[in-house]
Amino acid sequence: MILPLIKGLATTLRYCFSKPITLQYPEEKRTPYPRFRGHPELVINEDGTRRCVACTLCMVVCPSNAIRGIVPAEGPQHEKYPVQFTIDLTRCIFCGFCQEACPKAAIKLNNLYELAQYNKEVLILDIERATQKKPEMRAPDWL
Amino acid sequence: MINLTIDGRAIQAEPGKTILEVARENGIFIPYLCYHPALKPIGSCRICVVEVKPGPPRPLPACATYVAEGQEVVTASPRLTAIRQELMKLVLINHALECPICDKGGECELQELTHALGVPEVDLTAIPATSPPDYESLLVERHTDRCVTCGRCVRLCRDHVGAMAINFMQRGYFTELGSGLLPLDCEFCGSCIDICPVGALINKQFKYRARAWEVTKTEMVCPFCGGGCTYELHLKDGEIMRVYNGETALLCGRGRFGWPVLSSPERLRTPLVRVNGELKEATWEEALTAAAGGLKAVLEEAGPGALYGVGSPRATNEANYLFQKFFRAGLGTNNLDNPARLHYVKALSALGQVFGWPEVKEADGPHPKPPAYTSPFTVKEDTKGSGFTFVLGFLEELPRADAALILGADLTPELPPLGWGVNAARQKDDFKLVVANPRGTKFDRWATVSLRYKPGAERLVVAGLMKALLTAKPDLAPAVPAQGFEEFKESLKKFSLKEYASRAGVEVADLEAAAAILAQAQAPAILFGTELLSQDKGDMNALALADLFLLVGKPGTPGSALYPVADKANTRGVCELGVLPDRLPGLLPLDSPAAPAFWGDKKVAQQPGPTLLEVLDLLEQDAPEAPRALWALGGDLLRWLPNRSRTEKLLGKVKFMVVQDAFRTDTAKLADVVLPVAIHAEQEGSFISSTGRLGVLKAALTADGVLPDWQIICRLASALGVPMSYRNPAQIFAEFARQIPLYAGLAPKKAVGKTGIPAELKGTFVPFDLDISLPGRRPFTLIIGKVLQHSGSYTTHEPCGTLVVTPEGAVSLNPEDAAQLELKAGDKARVISSHGEVEAKVALDPLLPAGVAFLPEHFAQPAAQMLTLNSNLVRVSIQKA
Ligand code: SF4
Ligand code: SF4
Ligand code: SF4
Ligand code: SF4
Ligand code: SF4
Ligand code: FES
Repeated sequence: MILPLIKGLATTLRYCFSKPITLQYPEEKRTPYPRFRGHPELVINEDGTRRCVACTLCMVVCPSNAIRGIVPAEGPQHEKYPVQFTIDLTRCIFCGFCQEACPKAAIKLNNLYELAQYNKEVLILDIERATQKKPEMRAPDWL
Repeated sequence: MINLTIDGRAIQAEPGKTILEVARENGIFIPYLCYHPALKPIGSCRICVVEVKPGPPRPLPACATYVAEGQEVVTASPRLTAIRQELMKLVLINHALECPICDKGGECELQELTHALGVPEVDLTAIPATSPPDYESLLVERHTDRCVTCGRCVRLCRDHVGAMAINFMQRGYFTELGSGLLPLDCEFCGSCIDICPVGALINKQFKYRARAWEVTKTEMVCPFCGGGCTYELHLKDGEIMRVYNGETALLCGRGRFGWPVLSSPERLRTPLVRVNGELKEATWEEALTAAAGGLKAVLEEAGPGALYGVGSPRATNEANYLFQKFFRAGLGTNNLDNPARLHYVKALSALGQVFGWPEVKEADGPHPKPPAYTSPFTVKEDTKGSGFTFVLGFLEELPRADAALILGADLTPELPPLGWGVNAARQKDDFKLVVANPRGTKFDRWATVSLRYKPGAERLVVAGLMKALLTAKPDLAPAVPAQGFEEFKESLKKFSLKEYASRAGVEVADLEAAAAILAQAQAPAILFGTELLSQDKGDMNALALADLFLLVGKPGTPGSALYPVADKANTRGVCELGVLPDRLPGLLPLDSPAAPAFWGDKKVAQQPGPTLLEVLDLLEQDAPEAPRALWALGGDLLRWLPNRSRTEKLLGKVKFMVVQDAFRTDTAKLADVVLPVAIHAEQEGSFISSTGRLGVLKAALTADGVLPDWQIICRLASALGVPMSYRNPAQIFAEFARQIPLYAGLAPKKAVGKTGIPAELKGTFVPFDLDISLPGRRPFTLIIGKVLQHSGSYTTHEPCGTLVVTPEGAVSLNPEDAAQLELKAGDKARVISSHGEVEAKVALDPLLPAGVAFLPEHFAQPAAQMLTLNSNLVRVSIQKA
């Protein structure tokens, strides 16, 4: 009768002295696994230019129409690049299809997961806000 | 019929077809790359190989092997797959593979083939052979590294466009596409773009603007000339992305690249009303009230005869029909005409004299509720047709002619599809071509006989031809019953053959050779253009050709026909819908027994109105019957009527003028009310092409501030007390089609007279005038005509795509003449006639004979009609400016 109680208390006691498995969120943040799918963003090269060539394949493949309004333009070297690009995070289901479809490794899902907002507008990213701040690619799951 | 099996399936096929064609018809897939339905096969890529029994042990190309009785064809086997995959690897070995940015991506035949054939990867390597893309042209971009050397563009350009601008260069692995080290001969038609299976030739207007799968497609008729081509308009977000023709690939530059004029800043978007002598912007209500008020005042003061109407070859059949209905049923007058009076109407009247006006009897119908743009009449067994409509040619049949006479037309600029038709006919080995023109033209290079006559001598050439025909074969008899032959032969006796030749400026031997070709031909076609019709005696020229056709033509044989050029989108339609002072819709005479049925109880006035040219004379004489008010449905009278200063002066006498147009034309500037109209895909409606094809316009674009002509006519007519209301143009079509048995069986893409109506033809030889003198003593004969990149004046507004090729009108001179005048290409010259003068840039054209100059008619400046009197030929002197 007393034995199970002691067993339980022993377990409790053991955890009192082991490393906690919970985090003190939001003071503490979790580092996601490398293959975690956060929100999509446009990848930039070392020189700061976007890799995207406005082929619209990500827009075609996106199952929830989160990518839209890709407006292509022609650069001085006849290169093709987007001047407008909208990623609507209120629609994105973080499936990663866009990343998979992109022939230029120009869009990837980052590891950001704090997307709750009072204001929906904030979640609709224009081309500037959809672009990475510094070049970064996650090698293991790339291509 | 031939019986064969394909993959075990028993199939019946027409003899003379290839295995690939038969397989495609029966929905059996055979991959192909160098084949295209619009081209002759060359069998070079070998992707289409199939096993054929009985036959050699090796596989045969399906695109170049004809079907035969008892053949057993296998289209898929491990061996064939292995061959096809290996060939695909060779094609892909050096391919750029830039599908993400390639405009062809998504509609690329190479992509599709790679998928269909399951090419896993290219395990071959080769030294890279890439030339940089050619970005030079503003219309066509060339990416050699994407080319699969299928040769489609080469064949299309050489055999159908007739330009020979693309050729293979280098050989073997290094083969690439270039100009072939010849001077660039490109017509900038862009047809090679649409035939290219890959993205090696790119439409600059489309480049990077949309992906192939993003566009919505609307099939419609091209509104830029009387060719009546059908194309797809590709739109994204309501904006035009490109014009595309996947079927035959053939379009001319203005059709393919001309659409940006729609958004020209020069377009009228709001109505204009003259207030205190100046045109001011107004709302539609104000403008229509002002127009109705002005017209009403004139009508009340001077009666219904005081208003004159000018229809428009730019406007649809429906608008033109309503327009003439307003005059005939509303005002009870025949006071209307259209600008084709200056050329095409002359051909009609000559044809009417020789072959009679068209009539169809015993058509079945009208049936209730026909589909949209379809005649309610059908052809039954005892339906009979007669009249000239049945000697006019159809585009589809032109390639079947075995001889052609092109007279007085630089064919491709006048009507590109006729040029393509002659090129297609030329692919037959026994085809003979006679080209007669004062200037050298493109078709001279394929001509069996070229006749270079003096400007204006067409009638003498034709008379000489007939004289030579009758001398060689005195018992020559027309193929159809004809009257007046003996008297006509007498009239030819005025001169001897030698005199005809010397007066026309050609060799007797050439005339005889040309006559021999026409006499031997089993299906001769006669093509002529506005260049000969616009002369003051253009009707006589047309008469001469109609007589010639009566003599040598084989009506009823496909291809053997008369092909007069109706230059604008609806030149033929505006005439056939009765915007003529003496003809009702369907070209019926005013006293036709069918006429009373037209407008219910309102009788058709029996008195023909004055023609457009007679109206000017009446205005000049201040005659009491001269019109006081003018309603012009477009047609920039100042630009198109000869002797511009006179026209300007006389139009000034008109008290009140309403003009409907898309641009602020010079005529619109004289108007009291200008009403901006919808054009191109901003409106719905139908056109009748030069060769009779019914084309339908679709309203795919939003009309920004403008209205379609038919709505304007309805509103204005209603305001003038002639109530008119229609739901849509299809309803108007249904109304007039019920009155016109001539259109029995007509439906979109079908041609008038080509609906299976059996024709009973007869003819009357009508002698024609042989005097070709041109007044004046100035040294040069100036011909005013058309250039390839423009049609009418629409294409001269920025940002029309063809303006990059021909940005302005230049006066062309023979280089020797120019040297004598100390003029170089690009210099400014003054061209002076006895009626006016213009200043124009000089262009050198070795194809012009000495003493002949050429000026295009399209441009506002230099205004060609400043120089003319009553013809497109005028004597001028030319000086350095
Ligand atoms: S798939 Fe890649 S290259 Fe294409 S539009 Fe999307 S991000 Fe740009
Ligand atoms: S031509 Fe076809 S295969 Fe080649 S890059 Fe373009 S889309 Fe890709
Ligand atoms: S644009 Fe027309 S003329 Fe020029 S190369 Fe192409 S097909 Fe030939
Ligand atoms: S340019 Fe296009 S059509 Fe011409 S050969 Fe190359 S792939 Fe064929
Ligand atoms: S030939 Fe005439 S109808 Fe055909 S594309 Fe050119 S302008 Fe249009
Ligand atoms: S398609 Fe038959 S050989 Fe190319």
